[in-house]
Amino acid sequence: MKRRRLLQGFGSFAGLQVMMPHLNASELVAASLGKDDSPILVVLEMSGGNDGLNTIVPFADDDYYRLRPQIGIAKEKLLSMDEHFGFNPGLRGLQRLWKQGHLAVIHGCGYEKPSYSHFNSMAYWHTGAPNRGDEFGWMGRVADQLAPQRREEMLINVGTSQSLAVKSRVHTPLVFDDPNRFQRNSWMGEGPSDMAGAAKDISANQDFLLAVSESAKTSSSRIRQAWNNYTPGADYGVAPMDLPKVAACIAAGMPTQLYHVAVRNNAFDTHVAQPALHQRLLSYVSDAVHGFIADMERIGQGHRVVVMLHSEFGRRPMENANLGTDHGSSNIMMLAGAPVQSGHFGDVPSLVGLQDGDNIQYTTDFRRVYATVIEDWLGVKANTVLNGDFARLQLFG
Amino acid sequence: MRSMLLALLAALGCGLFLPPAHADSELDLTPLEASQWNAAQAAHLASRAGFGASVDELSELAAMTPLDAVNAFIDGANIAPSHSDQIVNDSFQHSGIFDPELDPFPASRPATTMLAKKQGHALGVQVKTGGNRPLQPVVNKFFYWLRASRLETDRVAYWWANRMLASAHPLQEKAALFWHGHFASNEDKVRDYRKMLKQLELFQTAGLGDFRELLIGVAQDPAMLVFLDAGVNTKDSPNENFAREIMELFTMGVGEYGETDVREAARSFTGWSVQGLDFYVDAKNHDAGAKRFLGEVGNFNGIEIIDRILAQQVTSEFLASKLYRYFVREELSGEAQDQLGRLLREKQYNTGEFLRTLFLSKDFYQSQGTHIKSPVELVISTYKKMGFSQVPGVPDFNVVTGALGQRLMHPPTVAGWSQGRSWITPSLLFERGNFVLDVVFPDIGFIPPDRFPPFVQEVAKVQSRLREGMSVSAATRPTAMLTGEQMGGEMAQSNALADRDEAFNTRLGSMRGWQMALERVKPIKRNPAKVNLVSEVVAAELTTPRQVVDYYQSKFFSVKLPESVQLAMVDFLVSELGTEDIQAARSYLEEPLRKLLHQMLSRPEYQLG
Repeated sequence: MKRRRLLQGFGSFAGLQVMMPHLNASELVAASLGKDDSPILVVLEMSGGNDGLNTIVPFADDDYYRLRPQIGIAKEKLLSMDEHFGFNPGLRGLQRLWKQGHLAVIHGCGYEKPSYSHFNSMAYWHTGAPNRGDEFGWMGRVADQLAPQRREEMLINVGTSQSLAVKSRVHTPLVFDDPNRFQRNSWMGEGPSDMAGAAKDISANQDFLLAVSESAKTSSSRIRQAWNNYTPGADYGVAPMDLPKVAACIAAGMPTQLYHVAVRNNAFDTHVAQPALHQRLLSYVSDAVHGFIADMERIGQGHRVVVMLHSEFGRRPMENANLGTDHGSSNIMMLAGAPVQSGHFGDVPSLVGLQDGDNIQYTTDFRRVYATVIEDWLGVKANTVLNGDFARLQLFG
Repeated sequence: MRSMLLALLAALGCGLFLPPAHADSELDLTPLEASQWNAAQAAHLASRAGFGASVDELSELAAMTPLDAVNAFIDGANIAPSHSDQIVNDSFQHSGIFDPELDPFPASRPATTMLAKKQGHALGVQVKTGGNRPLQPVVNKFFYWLRASRLETDRVAYWWANRMLASAHPLQEKAALFWHGHFASNEDKVRDYRKMLKQLELFQTAGLGDFRELLIGVAQDPAMLVFLDAGVNTKDSPNENFAREIMELFTMGVGEYGETDVREAARSFTGWSVQGLDFYVDAKNHDAGAKRFLGEVGNFNGIEIIDRILAQQVTSEFLASKLYRYFVREELSGEAQDQLGRLLREKQYNTGEFLRTLFLSKDFYQSQGTHIKSPVELVISTYKKMGFSQVPGVPDFNVVTGALGQRLMHPPTVAGWSQGRSWITPSLLFERGNFVLDVVFPDIGFIPPDRFPPFVQEVAKVQSRLREGMSVSAATRPTAMLTGEQMGGEMAQSNALADRDEAFNTRLGSMRGWQMALERVKPIKRNPAKVNLVSEVVAAELTTPRQVVDYYQSKFFSVKLPESVQLAMVDFLVSELGTEDIQAARSYLEEPLRKLLHQMLSRPEYQLG
């Protein structure tokens, strides 16, 4: 039911363009504001390799405590979830979402022949093409399917540099960090600094710079305006993970359906003295996601928004001697938001019979989760994006 | 004077138009002939082997032979104005923020308070035996060092930036910047400016020499040992972080070794540790047993692992290609990678000798204007071309380069900065133009970030509430809670729990930490840029707006602006001046010239070097 309503709403911006061809882009947005029900996906990347085992903790599995005598979290310290799992004590926000039925946990996510390099593995996740890679990101390819003709504001990436995930054949992703700085400061009136000029025989880099410059001109004022018109309506915690910026864009009625944000600086790479640090990082992410979902509910957009959380890999189940963990393979993914079917998905991997040097054998190809989100949430044929068929999960009821 | 300058600058516009090499063929590494040497080639060399050249430096370089010019960059003959000596020869002036009790610095605030509870003191501070918040002085000291080290690191970055600008051996600094991105460590994790400085000095002194020496230096470098957790790598549980990155990022590249190699190498590096600023091998924690590494078996120690890595052909190809991409161009064929690897092996892994061949080669002089300047290159070369002898205090160098995506001493991950197009996003392109504006029209609202750290608003609120006479618990309550603002009815956990432990108060500690740090860290001098555009235009005897635009085009750009844009720039200057006669407008010329320069340097084309 939820899905059908959404699919009807999907594409309404393009529909308006047909009905009202005399309007320009921003007038169209104004016309569609409040009517646009197109689904939105926000990807939050927990970079550095989040330790999934100490995030959603399998306290009922004795092997967990056997592998982690020092950093295993005692059952009584966990926030309650169910009879098998508990939340890391930092995850009060996610626990609230779980109780509201707005959180799905997908277990054992990974891929064949895992890479233990942050940068390689993340590139595989960014492109949805393990051990192969792709010139374009999976979100970029979704955008190319959503709109085969170039459009501004198809993809928004908050960060200091562009993520491979949003790289698109057709569209120029809108990338910014601080919305207030996203403007060309001029001095007593405009000059010719941003005029286009026909240049011949230019290098590929020059061509690229000119394209980015054109794109920047059109969208920067909208982002700044969105940010300045927005007041957070929920507590996002002490490190909001750029989600208030996403909220501002949604609140302003921007037509964007695909957003990408990331925890900065590989923060989840917890080789040493993990417990306090990990709990703190998790509380930041969890507070931010909970605040964002609550904020979306407040402005009547909760039904449109799904947040996907992932890392480039999980960590080794066996702790190291420095109260930390090393690079591993299979990991949890999470989806949060009102449209999400709450519960556990994917087979919970076994902590015995470890593979490939003491690593957890994955049970769920992460592209199954991508496929589900692409097809059942965004309404795009998943195999056109992922170049293959992946069995979908019942993440949207 | 005039004719010489104009001739020099006219020559700049016309580089070598040799046909580009085929993408799938080898590079033409034969030396450029002396007859092909001109100001454009000299400017290209200065921009890649250094941070650009001022007009004076350029005329000196152009008068040399290509061999002498390249040798000057590689060997550091004096090609800089005399004022530079003092800046460059000054070593870093410490503020004096460190005391020995800070070493070893615990991993986190919880680790610090746990240690204090256990042993009754930490960081040289006793736990109070009675009264409120017995651990507070310990927590204050913990935050003091975090803040002070961060601020002092900003001073180190300023010191380095000044060397980039004024050094008589700019390639030394350019190479150090390469190695800083290659062997990336971030002060956020190292948390000790002394270690960051020591690492930088290693890059400066060994960056143009033998790579083996440098690699061993890095493997035993305190900042790197802390950054990649090698300092806690013990026999009983080898930590793989360093062993993995040395192969993946520093030498061979991913896919050239197996997971077993990572684990075995980690065993070989066990016991490599750091005390203060000194490396040592902790024999009882070193695993001296047999290891199988890259197909060989032996009781390898860390140095022997490094030698086996260096014996791999792929290491030379990986490193040579990375150097080429940084100094010459990003696109590189498979054949060319092999060729460059061979060259590096021929030069016995000597980086300076390898670069000497590259900078002399015809191939190098075909790469003009293809490179996207990194933020640090953009800022320093702009200053250099504007004739500054010092990095201005306004705008703040670290804030500017940070906003552009390259804050020194804070590379985003161990992989360093991705170069090339990753420097450019729509908003970063704006930032680049805004940087120029901040130089030519300094912001009167400028607040020194080392005196009023802008990223700690909440801490500033705590201080003002304490001054209003509030209790510590009331003053340190998060703002949302304090004002009773309804934030969706639910408070975030991180906010609600910030002041949980009654033995200390984290927010109070954070505030006191800032106060103590600001008291001790020396301020950065806040001299604005000394811009004087009129004198240069007068010296060059430029008489028409068109000549001014041409002059700036030649001086600042590696690629030509489209003719339509140049004409628009001329019109802009004419309308600003109210005349086409530069001499007639001389008394009010400065501001229109600054506006023009801001317009021109905001162009996408200016990002190319």
